Amino acid sequence: MSYIECRKLTRAFHKGDTVIKPLRDLDLDIEEGMFLALMGPSGSGKTTLLNLLAGIDTATSGSLKIGGIELTSMPRSRLASWRADTIGYIFQLYNLVPVLTAYENVELPLLLHNYSKKERHAKVSLALDLVGLADRYDHYPRQLSGGQEQRVAIARAIVGDPKIIVADEPTGDLDAAAAAATMAMLKRLNIEFKKTMIMVTHDPKTAAVAQKTLHLEKGQLIENNA
Amino acid sequence: MVALKFVPFALKQIARRPTRTLLTICGVATAMFLFCAIQSMQQGMKDAAEANAAETTLIVYRENRFCPFTSKLPERYDGRIAAVPGVKSVLPMKIVVSNCRASLDVITFRGVPSDMFVKQAQSQFRILEGSIDDWNRRSDAALIGATMATRRKLKVGDRFDANGVVSIVAAIADSDEAQDKNTAYVHLDFLQRAAAIKSLGIVTEFIVKVNDPKDMESVARKIDAEFAHDTEPTQTRSEKAFVARAAGDLIELVGFTRWLGLGCVFAVLALVANTVVMSVQDRVREHAVLQTLGFTGFLIARLIVLEGAIVSLAGGIVGAGLAVLALRWGGVSLSTEGVNINFSASPQILLTGLLVSLTLGIVAGLVPAWQASRSDIVESFRSV
Ligand SMILES: Nc1ncnc2c1ncn2[C@@H]1O[C@H](COP(=O)(O)OP(=O)(O)O)[C@@H](O)[C@H]1O
Ligand SMILES: [Mg+2]
Repeated sequence: MSYIECRKLTRAFHKGDTVIKPLRDLDLDIEEGMFLALMGPSGSGKTTLLNLLAGIDTATSGSLKIGGIELTSMPRSRLASWRADTIGYIFQLYNLVPVLTAYENVELPLLLHNYSKKERHAKVSLALDLVGLADRYDHYPRQLSGGQEQRVAIARAIVGDPKIIVADEPTGDLDAAAAAATMAMLKRLNIEFKKTMIMVTHDPKTAAVAQKTLHLEKGQLIENNA
Repeated sequence: MVALKFVPFALKQIARRPTRTLLTICGVATAMFLFCAIQSMQQGMKDAAEANAAETTLIVYRENRFCPFTSKLPERYDGRIAAVPGVKSVLPMKIVVSNCRASLDVITFRGVPSDMFVKQAQSQFRILEGSIDDWNRRSDAALIGATMATRRKLKVGDRFDANGVVSIVAAIADSDEAQDKNTAYVHLDFLQRAAAIKSLGIVTEFIVKVNDPKDMESVARKIDAEFAHDTEPTQTRSEKAFVARAAGDLIELVGFTRWLGLGCVFAVLALVANTVVMSVQDRVREHAVLQTLGFTGFLIARLIVLEGAIVSLAGGIVGAGLAVLALRWGGVSLSTEGVNINFSASPQILLTGLLVSLTLGIVAGLVPAWQASRSDIVESFRSV
């Protein structure tokens, strides 16, 4: 059994009388520790799949098991604490909380656990060091460059030590240098910290960092030179 | 309700829009100031209506007269009243008020026989300044209530002039009786001589203590019967009934302010709810991010409620605090027909104000918090 198992995974949205199906009967297995890139044209269902894997969306039908746990039937509040333990989510547009400093943004996910202030400090420091922002604790998002913001977001995603990190076009809004730095970081998290990494990207160069690339089209995987 | 570690987060969110937050706090403070002023008036009315001694005290007044100006009874009635079976004691009293109509700044003089007053003063008053002995030594001495002293800024030794009566403050005292707080007690013969219309041997009323509360009615009827055929017939009522009649208009007015108080409550609710709704709308995406991080909808809801509660409580602290300070400093009281309604400025009023503002803050946040807690993460990301 694979770590992540999608069976006939389908997501449908109802808009009035029409039904949109960004994902149709998708079968997918992802091994633990894998670095997977998802590519495909705009609207092909990449984000929808990522959201299901991250547990922030629920499938309409089919099954999705992660670490043996079925997500599709899990109630909302259980799903929330499952996310807190299992998932780190990296967005294209960083999504930092603007009124919080870099330090406080990274601390946020830790507030959900019973860590002491000291323990939280140790973990936040470690995460910020790892992304090379040890000197920016007190900076607010608006005082940081895009690349730095994304690094804070990466620190926030890994601070709780989740098994899986998902990233939706993490370099989509960055210049070439910042993009390369971000990808190096994600690669390191995969190799050194054994994080299962699932990343959506448009860019073949970015996808090349991954172990494996899958192509989506109209909500289905197209088998090719994987 | 919410772990302490989230409080700094809530405070930062509140500070996010400083102008909006400040305006809301000002609005809540204004409404809570009014609310507390009204509460204090209501409490004052209650205190007046529930005068302590009411259970065994009768007031003998001139029949068909309602103002101290016009109620004139011969002082020598006291012996005949004392002879009525069931009567325990009789205190003749002359009352001079500066204004018989409803007013905010009335000075009430009560002239009482010196020896009788000295006898009962020990149990009736807590002397804050000066002494009863000083009062007894000077013929123009006055013992004044604490509220009146605050309002008129009087100290022991001060001379004060009201309605042509010039007296010297010999003692300042507090009392459980609402009426005493705003009254100047002077020697009866001094007041009779000093009053604008000379009236030796004339008093305004008799305060009669009855042995048994059950006899109130019958004793009152017997007293009135005793004087029915004199030139100055009497009308005797329980102190409670007397205050209720004299202050009837005021009580109605003060009762009406209940609605103003209710208006304040709704104003606070609307203000805080509006602020919370706007800040929730501003943060749809952020709440989706928090949920992605693993925050439950319930936790987000509690954080939103906490924000509303903090803003509302801040307004409450300012408004209720200022109200109680102002009332303390001003020693405000309403008077009519010689009956005083002292605005209460007790810590209880402050506590009520704080509790009410806190509760309203929580209630105002409930609906937006509930909505935010149910919002769909993916929808929220797509909508902004
Ligand atoms: N919540 C939603 N409601 C309606 N339609 C949606 C929703 N989410 C996605 N879609 C539709 O599903 C399709 C796939 O979307 P998405 O997964 O975001 O594509 P991608 O990330 O590959 O660009 C699109 O046509 C999009 O409009
Ligand atoms: Mg997408």
